Amino acid sequence: MAAATQTLSAPPPAAAAAPNTGKRKRQPKGNKKKKKLVRSDQDDSFRRRRNKPSAKFLKLLRKRARDYNSDDEEEDDDDQRQEHPPNPRRRRDDGDDDEALSHSEPEEDEDEDGEDEEEGASSSAVTRFEQGCRAFRVAFLKIMAKKLPDNPLGPIMSAHKTLVAAKLAEEVEQHKPKGEARKEKRVAAEKGHVIPKDHLDSKEKELIKVATKGVVRLFNAVNKAQKPRKDLNPSRTKDAKVLEKERKNTFLTELGMPSHQDKKSKASSNLSKHTGKDEDEPAWAPLRDTYMLGSKLKDWDKMKDSSAASEQKKVPLSDSSDEE
Amino acid sequence: MRQPRSGPGKRRGRGPRIPAATLRKQKAALANVDQITGAKIPKSFVFARGKLPSTLRHLQQDLRKVMLPYTALNLKEKKRNNLKDFVNVAGPLGVSHFLILSNPKSLPHLRFAKSPQGPTFTFQIEEYSLAADIANSQKRPRCPPGIFQNSPLVVLGGLTGLGNPFRSLVEYFQHMFPAVDPSTVKLATCQRILLLKHDKEKDVIEFRHYSIKLQPVGVSRRIRKLMQNNQVPDLGEYKDVSDFVTKAGYGSESEVDDEAAMVSLPSDVDKLNRASRKSAVRLQEIGPRMTMRLSKVEAGLCSGDVLYSWPVEKEVGKKGTETGEEVEEQEEDDNAEATDESEDEMEV
Repeated sequence: MAAATQTLSAPPPAAAAAPNTGKRKRQPKGNKKKKKLVRSDQDDSFRRRRNKPSAKFLKLLRKRARDYNSDDEEEDDDDQRQEHPPNPRRRRDDGDDDEALSHSEPEEDEDEDGEDEEEGASSSAVTRFEQGCRAFRVAFLKIMAKKLPDNPLGPIMSAHKTLVAAKLAEEVEQHKPKGEARKEKRVAAEKGHVIPKDHLDSKEKELIKVATKGVVRLFNAVNKAQKPRKDLNPSRTKDAKVLEKERKNTFLTELGMPSHQDKKSKASSNLSKHTGKDEDEPAWAPLRDTYMLGSKLKDWDKMKDSSAASEQKKVPLSDSSDEE
Repeated sequence: MRQPRSGPGKRRGRGPRIPAATLRKQKAALANVDQITGAKIPKSFVFARGKLPSTLRHLQQDLRKVMLPYTALNLKEKKRNNLKDFVNVAGPLGVSHFLILSNPKSLPHLRFAKSPQGPTFTFQIEEYSLAADIANSQKRPRCPPGIFQNSPLVVLGGLTGLGNPFRSLVEYFQHMFPAVDPSTVKLATCQRILLLKHDKEKDVIEFRHYSIKLQPVGVSRRIRKLMQNNQVPDLGEYKDVSDFVTKAGYGSESEVDDEAAMVSLPSDVDKLNRASRKSAVRLQEIGPRMTMRLSKVEAGLCSGDVLYSWPVEKEVGKKGTETGEEVEEQEEDDNAEATDESEDEMEV
């Protein structure tokens, strides 16, 4: 019973072993022998594989392969296969016999033919599979050796050549709008983005001129506000006195006692813009009543209407080119 | 056992104990105020509403650099952050100005807003170039990191003497950066300038960002380089040291020193630019560069009455702006009537 199942289930391991027959040779056989000892009913396909097939056998295989290619032969095979399953009992017996034979004779290659003749039906499950493998190999090699026409689609074995072509065409069609969409997206993301030219055009030069004018005006204002102290030489007693007075004035200014000299400088300063409403407030911020209280921009639109004209000139930075 | 108690005892002896929270608040309030003038230092957030493409994200970063140092350079925003979140954070941090970028279908928009109450000025960015583009276009881009340590000067051109929206706009731009006090300012801190020039013909505002460089007048290029680099020059080709000084070089001499760019300095700015001699102001663009069109002015922060709306685009572009503005779609619908009224006023 066990042998029967073995013969039926033999093909898969045989198939697995088929490609690396050469390598198997090198492997120590002790392991296998042990296995054989344990399972005496093991099928003979292993051993057969180990040995190099004889020329005779190869010839037979070639013939079988040739037969396999023709349709009527295949039909026959099918018939045979259908015949076999109904009587597994007999097959098992044959398997046992076969096993016994193989045990008795170490050399099997000669036996191949006889085996086929004697119990062709019984071992057909195994050998046919092998032949099938060979046939596939031959067929595959044949296909691989074929010179292909220079087809843009590449080698397509199937009969669905037109279908594949249609599919590929469709893919290309789909891909194209995707690329276009991506490009469109990029254009949308870049909208308004302009790479500037290498040289300065007249417009940029004009803008730089305006900006330069503004900077120069500020620097001059700063110069005017800070200069008086600088052009006096503190080592001369006369200048030192003037400087002393200046310092005193600034100090008094900071304390909030207005003196006569500093009114000019105050007018040009930004500071006056914030305190412009009432002159009595101290100049130094922490002394003012409104120090850190709220923002001055609260009524930004109302306040501006009334005092717009007077305040335009106060910030030296906000000068415009069209004032001239 | 008594020693740990001595600390609090001492403190009690000094006077009324101020809670740590109050102290912290006072400190924070002081940080928001200029120590000399007492003016509140305007601080800003630059952020985006909606998703931005990469170029606009770069523009956002460039704008943050323009707004330095009183801005959040690495402000991270999440998708679920709404405007209210920013307003809530802005209060305690003393942030007063918002620059909001958005990318509707028509054109990218930039909104300048005052933090708690508005107004909001919405600009269409018609053209823009990034700082990197500007640097690529220049032969010798100059952008030392030190120039971002002080806020830029603001120069407004052609914006005065215009109608109401521009008047409030001027006011806004003037208070976007700390005010400059001519009597106390140090010229060495004036290293950048932000130019906003109104183009009358096209009715657009040009946004430019330059670095300021001072060059002594009448000093040859060689001497200038010698002073700047602190390196011994190659004198191999000269017979005498005087040749190095007197021989005219090429390059700098071709630059015409026009009288308009000359300033005399009140104090020494650096080794080269002394108070005693005149200096020329040279500007080099550092970017970003924008051409903006004022499209809408709202009284509130991205809401409220529409005080101004670009009249030409009104009929055609109304739908486009409504779909594009992802933040206040409903509010815009609410304001539609108000917009109509204001437009009538314009036409009258």
